[in-house]
Amino acid sequence: MTKEYSWRYITLGLIFTALAAFIVLQMIRIQLSPQAKYFRDRGNSVSGYWKTFSPARGSIYDRNGHLMAGNKTVYEVGVDLTNPARNPTTIAMAANAVIGLDYDYVFGLVSQASSDKGIYRMIADFVTEEQKERLDELNDQMSIAYANSDDPDRPSLDGLQFRPHLQRSYPEERLAANLIGFVNREGRGFFGIEEQYNDLLAGEPQIMWVPSDPNKVEEFPNIPPGASLVLTIDRTIQSEMEAILDDALNDTGAESGTIAIMDPKTGEIIAMATTPRIDLNEYWRYGEVFVDPQMTYNNAISKSYESGSVFKVLTMSAAVDNKSVAPDTMFLDTGAFEIGGTVIRNWNGGAWGYQDMVGCIKHSLNVCLAWVASELGNGQFYKYMQAFGIGSLTGIELAGEVPGRLKQPGDNDWYEAELGTNSFGQGVSVTPVQMLMAVSSLANEGKMMTPRIVLSMKKDGREYRTQSQVAGMPISAETARVMSNMLAITVEVESYSNAVVEGYRIAGKTGTGEIPTPFGYTSNVTNASFVGWGPVDDPQFIVYVWLEKPMTSIWGSEVAAPVFREVVEHLVVLMNIPPDDIRMQLQNSN
Amino acid sequence: MEFEFLPGRKLKNLTTEKIIMDNVQRISQVYIEAPWRKQLQYVGLFLLGVVLIAMVAFFYINVTARAAAIGRSIQLMQSEIEVIRRDIVDLETEMAELTSYSMMVNRAGGLGFYQVDPDEVIYLQVPGYQGRQPVSLGSSTAPPLPSASSLSPDYTQSLFEWLRERVFDPAAPLLEIEP
Repeated sequence: MTKEYSWRYITLGLIFTALAAFIVLQMIRIQLSPQAKYFRDRGNSVSGYWKTFSPARGSIYDRNGHLMAGNKTVYEVGVDLTNPARNPTTIAMAANAVIGLDYDYVFGLVSQASSDKGIYRMIADFVTEEQKERLDELNDQMSIAYANSDDPDRPSLDGLQFRPHLQRSYPEERLAANLIGFVNREGRGFFGIEEQYNDLLAGEPQIMWVPSDPNKVEEFPNIPPGASLVLTIDRTIQSEMEAILDDALNDTGAESGTIAIMDPKTGEIIAMATTPRIDLNEYWRYGEVFVDPQMTYNNAISKSYESGSVFKVLTMSAAVDNKSVAPDTMFLDTGAFEIGGTVIRNWNGGAWGYQDMVGCIKHSLNVCLAWVASELGNGQFYKYMQAFGIGSLTGIELAGEVPGRLKQPGDNDWYEAELGTNSFGQGVSVTPVQMLMAVSSLANEGKMMTPRIVLSMKKDGREYRTQSQVAGMPISAETARVMSNMLAITVEVESYSNAVVEGYRIAGKTGTGEIPTPFGYTSNVTNASFVGWGPVDDPQFIVYVWLEKPMTSIWGSEVAAPVFREVVEHLVVLMNIPPDDIRMQLQNSN
Repeated sequence: MEFEFLPGRKLKNLTTEKIIMDNVQRISQVYIEAPWRKQLQYVGLFLLGVVLIAMVAFFYINVTARAAAIGRSIQLMQSEIEVIRRDIVDLETEMAELTSYSMMVNRAGGLGFYQVDPDEVIYLQVPGYQGRQPVSLGSSTAPPLPSASSLSPDYTQSLFEWLRERVFDPAAPLLEIEP
């Protein structure tokens, strides 16, 4: 290299060095400039995205594995505003025709230009698979028809995007709607099982940064689905009971009704039918069905009422257990009994003369039961009622349970006369499920079982079985047997013939409860009830029937007892319970 | 050439050293005086650097490209897993709809079945039959798979990430010796 050329190389080197220095300085300047955050944010915005991994909501099955609540794919439909080929007119027309959206609304959304603030606009959510397929089909047809067209305004659904996600689905629609509850579009459970076990069913969503760079890809978190639940109900029995209840309402003109069935040995609820019911897949029609704010979603647990004479079962059980009376204790019914300044009279206002305790129950004598309660005394009567769970929650795993009301000595609104009226089910409010639990002690050798609706739970691949719980032992086994026998005799008499099920010995009691109003009790509209269990020697079910304000008759023996009989006639077939004589033969042959 | 008066042997050694020095000097001079040799050295060193950088770049690009391709495959498979999971859920629900109670009753009616009258029921004793047992959902489900996200960073981080971690997190090496 000669000296005459070396200056050129030096100059070139200096230029390159200055250029490199300039680039480095510029990089440093940009990094330290106020706009640096903007650039970083821009970079981050395209380097990946935050994704919420929502686990599939757990399923709900009946005891035989039939799906009662599952999930199905639906779509969020939106438009890519950066797509230059999108045609707002076509998209709006298609959305109007297929999804039923307002044309102007969609046209306005789709016509917007993309900006830093938005490159995507959602136009509809919870679009069904069928609607999506129809839109895809339309898109394909347009693509073929205008494949060779250069017209920038040619009909096209370009830019339309579908984002799938899961939505709750109820294959059985209205079946067991009152105990399952529903899930809204935000994924929150309302009523019944869906609300009670919302957190368990929903699982735990996770949010994760998903990089767009394949070099930085990470495995998606393995999120287990929400827990699945197996219920104690049998969908066949549930469906039959709902059909019987609906027919009963039609036949009697009752305002609402409830049929609840429980296994007295385990506390498992086999069926729980109430009215009104909604199609859970259209839960948004809730307001159309439950028009009155006083209406409850599940009367069996959420609506307490004065049950009337079915309550006498508990009064008599307490007295027999306390040995205040025995089945053969005689009582002279004069047609009136004064207690706390109030005169108690019988349902027909008559005097029934000498009656033993079986006769008192058989003829449902208020006077006799008020005397029985007075023999027990305040302390013992209310102690027994508390032991039966009256006035307390049963603990059934359904949202919205109410405890009813048992006024007791010491309460501001309790009077001495309450002892007399409470003895035959007036002045004390109960729920059907409370009565089921209380009566289970009579049908289960004195052991009162907590009603339960969840049989098992599957979580993380493991199954957990729930256990039967004894809620207490308010009466002895001997008392339970005595009472079952008394109530079986009661059913066998003529006045209860509506409840007699041929071939089966059933124990039971009717109830006709007057309805309290601000102006006192009304006798022209009542609550008609029946509680019964069987077979008496080996009880496998307790049935509780409640018809609210029946129109054809005010008496439980005339409207609720026939419903009970129909229920049991179906139940024994569905539960494979042979008639007593055949059952005995089968047992003896073993 | 100059001569020094020195006793015999010393004189001889001095002469040899001088000769060697001369040779070295001459060889050095030859190379110094040949600029193309010096340029060749620079070019050789430069090319060596280029080759080394090219090798590193080649391996880096090769590994990165393969990792990107595999990463992309993983992304696609993850999407596929999501779709399959949704399909499974959809099919379960569809099957439940097709076998719902009302549908089954209608189908049974269509096939000529009717609801049995209690008088028509014949009860048979089947030894050992326990009756219909409640469904069990536990047996058919495999235990959940562990998430690969729990893999040690040793298997996932790059050399640069490892280096950066060591530079900016001096305590990191200590963590490795923890049991």
